[in-house]
Amino acid sequence: MCPRSRGEGVQAKRIIPCLDVKNGKVVKGVRFKGLSDVGNPPDMAEAYEAQGADEVTFLDITASLETRQTILDLVSETAERLFVPLTVGGGIRTADDMRDALNAGADKVSVNSAAINNPDMIRECAERFGSQCVVIAIDAKKEGDSWNVYTHGGTKRTELDAVEWARRAEELGAGEILLTSMDADGVKEGYDIPLTKAVADAVNIPVIASGGCGSKEHIYEVLTGTNAAAALAASIFHYNECTVGEVKEFLRERGVAVR
Amino acid sequence: MADYGAGNLHSLRKALERCGAVVTVTESMNTLAEAECIAFPGVGAFDNVMARIGDASGEIVRSILNGTPCLGICIGMQISADGSEEGHLPGIGLIEGRVVRMRAERVPQIGWNHVLSDDPLFEGIDSLLFYFAHSFVISPKDPGVVRGITEYESMTIPSLVRKNNFVGSQFHPEKSGSSGLRFLSNFVEFAEGCL
Repeated sequence: MCPRSRGEGVQAKRIIPCLDVKNGKVVKGVRFKGLSDVGNPPDMAEAYEAQGADEVTFLDITASLETRQTILDLVSETAERLFVPLTVGGGIRTADDMRDALNAGADKVSVNSAAINNPDMIRECAERFGSQCVVIAIDAKKEGDSWNVYTHGGTKRTELDAVEWARRAEELGAGEILLTSMDADGVKEGYDIPLTKAVADAVNIPVIASGGCGSKEHIYEVLTGTNAAAALAASIFHYNECTVGEVKEFLRERGVAVR
Repeated sequence: MADYGAGNLHSLRKALERCGAVVTVTESMNTLAEAECIAFPGVGAFDNVMARIGDASGEIVRSILNGTPCLGICIGMQISADGSEEGHLPGIGLIEGRVVRMRAERVPQIGWNHVLSDDPLFEGIDSLLFYFAHSFVISPKDPGVVRGITEYESMTIPSLVRKNNFVGSQFHPEKSGSSGLRFLSNFVEFAEGCL
């Protein structure tokens, strides 16, 4: 054994392009509304891996029952071409839905509304498939001094506090939290630092910051100003405003550990 | 490649195929012992995997001891031990020692971390960052089988174990981009050399 140098054992911060998929196409919305097409999921996923993406997230926002198999086929096609982890979410209602997504080639599956309706589902999934593939997605919106959790693509308000819900999800066996700020999402003015900080400080599992990314500076801010393990972004990559490689170069120059 | 009915095998299959291997996925564990090369993928829980392997364990171990190259990833590596804190069933017992729960604040470890190793399987790899997703680690009795380590919090994790023709990784090379593909291609080359 000849370790190269001490202090290398720091996990790299992850950069995750997100594919919001509707009717088979990647779309990008503004504040959960007004969607426009930007491309096809397998091609985009492959291109992002080539740019240096550490992972790709595939969120099905069609989420209607009759199209389930079509979505799974598209997940398979995407997974077939990726050699980095693929997270799949959207419309996952039961542990069997999670199994189907894993069998289609997902490495991790994110659950949002169904976990809130039935928190025991988190435990069941963690026991069946392992915590490492159970991602709990939280959509949060500021109300006063705290953040409320919303479900159904940001349309239904719940009484849950985002920080409390993240803690509970961890206790039940979630492996990661995908945290989206509804206030910041789509407006490209930066991640929600106070929200991300509050949640990432409250749990011991990785938190993926999402919503609001408009530049590589925003990614730097959230990865250095909070304990987030990863930053997820969509439009800056979809519209070629900046490549994953450029983001990583920018972070590396400023001392952030990246792959 | 063993199919223990526990989910996503495609990623390892297609990665090995990309590296030039011809892969047959089988649920019949006895078939494994007759293969030119054996792969245990990294999905599933300890007892589920060992329950599937069942009585075939002895034949598989004999085959590996007779020189059949074998690659185990994550849980597929951990089953090479005598047993695990994750379950009650014995492992295949190729590597003396047990699998223990990670003593760290942040469990599971999920993400990219460095592998420190001078093993030839890492030849030609520029970035030694690999993808990890696990809550348990192997703790071999003989430190000589540990051929790669990874630092996580205050722990030093055995991230590559080797015993002759058996290669076990805690990281997921099939999910580690070009570094992982090069590692697998080095393994395939090593396996061809064993034939």
